[in-house]
Amino acid sequence: MNPTLYRRALEHTIGSPQQMASRKVALERFFTHGLPTPRDEDWKYTALDFLEQMDLHAPHAAEDWASEDYPGIVMRFGNGRLTDADLRSIHAHGLADHADSPLVVRYLGRLADTLPGGAALADINSALWQDGLLLHVPVGWKASPVFVTHYASESDAMLHLRHLVVLEAGTEAVLVEHDQGTPDLPYWHNSVTEIVLGEGARLTHIKLDEDSAAATHTSLTLVGQSRDSRYHALSLLVGGRVARHDTRVNLNGSGAECQLDGLFIADARRHIDQHLHVEHAAPHTTSRQTWRGIATGRGRGIFDSRVVVQPGAQKADAQQSSRNLLLSPHAEIDVKPQLEIHADDVRCSHGATVGQLDEAQVFYLRSRGIAADTARALLLHGFAGEALGLLKNAALSDWLEPHLAAALPLLNKELTT
Amino acid sequence: MLEIRNLHVSIGDRPILAGIDLDVKAGEVHAIMGPNGSGKSTLAQVLAGREGYAVTAGSVRYLDRDLVGQDLLALAPEQRARAGIFLAFQYPLEIPGVANVQLLRSALNSVRLQRGESELDAMDFLDTVKSKLALLDMDESFLYRAVNEGFSGGEKKRNEILQMAVLEPRLAILDETDSGLDIDALKTVAHGVNALKHPERAVILVTHYQRLLNYIVPDHVHVLAGGRIVRSGDAGLALELEDRGYGWLIPESGSLEEMRP
Amino acid sequence: MSQPEVSHPDARNAELRSRVADEYRWGFVTDIEQEVVPKGLSEAVIRLISAKKNEPDFMLEWRLQAYRHWLTLTEPTWSSVHHPAIDYQAIHYYAAPKSGSQPKDLSEVDPELLRTYEKLGIPLQEREALAGVAVDAVFDSVSVATTFKDKLESLGIIFCSFSEAVQKHPELVREYLGSVVPYTDNYFATLNSAVFTDGSFVYVPKGVRCPMELSTYFRINARNSGQFERTLIIADEGATVSYLEGCTAPMRDENQLHAAVVELVALKDARIKYSTVQNWYPGDAEGRGGIYNFVTKRGDCRGDRAHISWTQVETGSAITWKYPSCILRGDDSVGEFYSVALTNHRQQADTGTKMIHIGRNTRSTIVSKGISAGFGSNAYRGLVKVLPSAANARNHTQCDSLLMSDHCAAHTFPYIEVKNPSATVEHEATTSKIGDDQLFYLRSRGLSEEDAVNLIVNGFCKEVFKELPMEFAVEAQKLLAVSLEGAIG
Repeated sequence: MNPTLYRRALEHTIGSPQQMASRKVALERFFTHGLPTPRDEDWKYTALDFLEQMDLHAPHAAEDWASEDYPGIVMRFGNGRLTDADLRSIHAHGLADHADSPLVVRYLGRLADTLPGGAALADINSALWQDGLLLHVPVGWKASPVFVTHYASESDAMLHLRHLVVLEAGTEAVLVEHDQGTPDLPYWHNSVTEIVLGEGARLTHIKLDEDSAAATHTSLTLVGQSRDSRYHALSLLVGGRVARHDTRVNLNGSGAECQLDGLFIADARRHIDQHLHVEHAAPHTTSRQTWRGIATGRGRGIFDSRVVVQPGAQKADAQQSSRNLLLSPHAEIDVKPQLEIHADDVRCSHGATVGQLDEAQVFYLRSRGIAADTARALLLHGFAGEALGLLKNAALSDWLEPHLAAALPLLNKELTT
Repeated sequence: MLEIRNLHVSIGDRPILAGIDLDVKAGEVHAIMGPNGSGKSTLAQVLAGREGYAVTAGSVRYLDRDLVGQDLLALAPEQRARAGIFLAFQYPLEIPGVANVQLLRSALNSVRLQRGESELDAMDFLDTVKSKLALLDMDESFLYRAVNEGFSGGEKKRNEILQMAVLEPRLAILDETDSGLDIDALKTVAHGVNALKHPERAVILVTHYQRLLNYIVPDHVHVLAGGRIVRSGDAGLALELEDRGYGWLIPESGSLEEMRP
Repeated sequence: MSQPEVSHPDARNAELRSRVADEYRWGFVTDIEQEVVPKGLSEAVIRLISAKKNEPDFMLEWRLQAYRHWLTLTEPTWSSVHHPAIDYQAIHYYAAPKSGSQPKDLSEVDPELLRTYEKLGIPLQEREALAGVAVDAVFDSVSVATTFKDKLESLGIIFCSFSEAVQKHPELVREYLGSVVPYTDNYFATLNSAVFTDGSFVYVPKGVRCPMELSTYFRINARNSGQFERTLIIADEGATVSYLEGCTAPMRDENQLHAAVVELVALKDARIKYSTVQNWYPGDAEGRGGIYNFVTKRGDCRGDRAHISWTQVETGSAITWKYPSCILRGDDSVGEFYSVALTNHRQQADTGTKMIHIGRNTRSTIVSKGISAGFGSNAYRGLVKVLPSAANARNHTQCDSLLMSDHCAAHTFPYIEVKNPSATVEHEATTSKIGDDQLFYLRSRGLSEEDAVNLIVNGFCKEVFKELPMEFAVEAQKLLAVSLEGAIG
């Protein structure tokens, strides 16, 4: 490990003396274990040692850039910093500007700094975060959809984004994280999103990762759910050279419910490692996971999911499903669907498959006059597109659809019109 | 239109069809009947080009305008479909994530291109499909559901006939389309098939029971047993089978195993 | 070097014994004079064991290599099981019934030992023996008797204790020992390689179908002793063999270590079926005592169309930690793993399998049934790995857990790694409890609650039981019923 690298980056951060103190504590915490290695069971399939070979540094400039149109409030970030905040925004703010607000002081790090066993990447982020979103919806409000869009354009930059979402009791929001970068530019984007859902609050959270094909993207989403709250996430992971996405949901209140859906496409030389962890910490909690993956070219996709039912969390209901298509001889899929049950009155199941497109379906389409390649592309699109169907939100799926189509290998464009 | 000569087919080293001869002319309806395991469905699948069957002898010629005398067996499944051959599957496949309308449109346009016709735009396509939906008493919402996913048995069969009606094939092969249908659905399906009858088209009905033939009257009935056609006749033969079953037509030593050389 | 001591088993409190006898009826101690090597592990002890067994040099060398390697290792901690540290210097690595030399036939076997096996339901007199089952009886560190040897010899089948194989068939031992589980494999396998004392050896020659079930019955008797047996089964081209293993131990308050290694080699077109009914002493209801069952079992389908099938019913041991595995090297080879693991009281199990697909068209099936009751903890851990060479590989895994108390735990940790695009791997897992409505339904038909539970549990395990040879399936069902007594209520 190279502590100087991180110490130098710390010098580029700003904040109140209190903040700076807690950043230093986080950095020291990171130094005690360093970057994870494949010797850590949770990092068995992903090595990050190459990161410290890069000329990593804090970004110099927050460059503004022209983003696509989004159907909602837009918070635009460039190289880790807020470059353009939507003037219509009532609930969405820049986190750096509000770092000393009582709300942020109260909630920031509450989930990330208390992870059992520590989490190196969360610690680096807590030490070095530059900016991010603060989304706070007070009681009685329903927020407009918020699009947090980030663009990386500096080579070897270390971009630590930090987002904090607090939905108070009974409120509702839609959050979309969209990450991009200059094509083929190497950089390291390490984001942490902390989400606190009050009683009965509902959040739909979309993550679209389209980072550059040379980028490293590590992300950690932490969700704490109170009674009767609902968290629905859809991740469309199609970017980066090495990507690692962790989602950890704590179902702390009875009646809390989470639905984690995702799709990854590991094509070319892409390595996408996804970890889901759901803790059923209260009775009558529900979790659903529907994850799909496609690996082709020399791509490698890893899906690791852990559902824990804690003692006393009776009537927990957990279902995991992981379906994967392995389409080329040099691609690889690794799946680890795990259940840890410490209560008896539960309904838990998981299913995982790794295989190919169903040749009987291909034949069926061909018998209707559709060429074999087109039939395969149609089936692939159907397989991937089902992930969007789970969203049950036409505006959002319409926005996502072209992004999905662009990411799909073999896809015959005319089929999607 | 279709000329099958001495067709032998096996799966692995197990023979299924042991010398089929059959001529189907434009405008005709043929019924192929027979007990379970007689090879009826194999014949239907082989005509549509399903992989996994080995044709060990014989030929199938399809006498279409564009493919005069061409060996059908050399064509890929989609080439056969574009040449006007349609198989209504006994067990239609569910294809999650792919909407019915996507399938229909891709299929219709590839068939039209083959015929030298232009692709239909979305509006014309919808008009075409809607008229066919009405024919089969189907709701428009069917179009936007994933292909056969969560369909009842009857809905799946109707969906097959809908595809047939949209593609307007020259040779339609219906594999046990009547199985699992209640009487109302059976009538609807039969109505759809009858509406498609045309002097330029032929239909092959593969069925175990005579029931469907009350609604679609065949010109010829063939009984398949032990991988061969053991008797051919007119519609009367089907009625006779209804009375007497298949037993009297199957030779005592008629099992295929014993016919092996 | 100190002289071997002779231990006299202490008289156990008879009342205590009878009180708990219902729970673990195999828990008696045999009063027999034992020859025991002093506690502790050192090169000297290994040399002593090797010398006692009159082993050729290559064996001693192999043991010493293993021992030196073991010294460089640390005990693994990745499993889900928890136990106090094991003091490897507090274990007797050799214990044997005291007798002059290896008995030549049953008339030379100590009658007390014969009575022990009779009490365990394993008569060693051939006229009384289970028809069609040849038995090798292993008592602590050594094999005491092997039945039906002559009959098997006439077919060229070698079925004998490992010690005897080392003496009589050193070339086979040398060729195959460690060829599936090398002495460097893992902490406990390495320990076993250094100190193993006996076990069973089977060789079935080309084209021979073994006409009877071969069976080994393992019994730990001595106090503070570990049992380190080693089993090696070789099925030559086209050979078929079915092998059964059973095990029990006396009830003792301290934990005893059982670290066995089983190696199976199936050459071209060979079939090996390996069944285990594991009933080591599980400890008492509070978790005192019981066997630590840390075992390495692996089969190698070395030739095309080889077939290895593991079936295990694990009801005993305080801790079970093992993964009977298959290396599917030959094209079209098949691996199977059928398992029932039950944990009651404070028992812990971390068990499963590895299926390594290397050859083309290789197939594997995994059926794992975990039952957790009391404070028991049951984990399935498995790996299905499809290498790039394994075109058209197929795996299906079904992993079910049945929960019977609100203090128990059931975990599933499957690893699936696929590197070939023509492979199909499917994994399913469910967790459920015995439904109150199911119980009510059966009771309303006149079944007692216990019978109802047994019926449901047997139904849950059916797919595995049907893989067992018949007598063992019956035995396994009884064992489950006994192990679950009082689990509901």
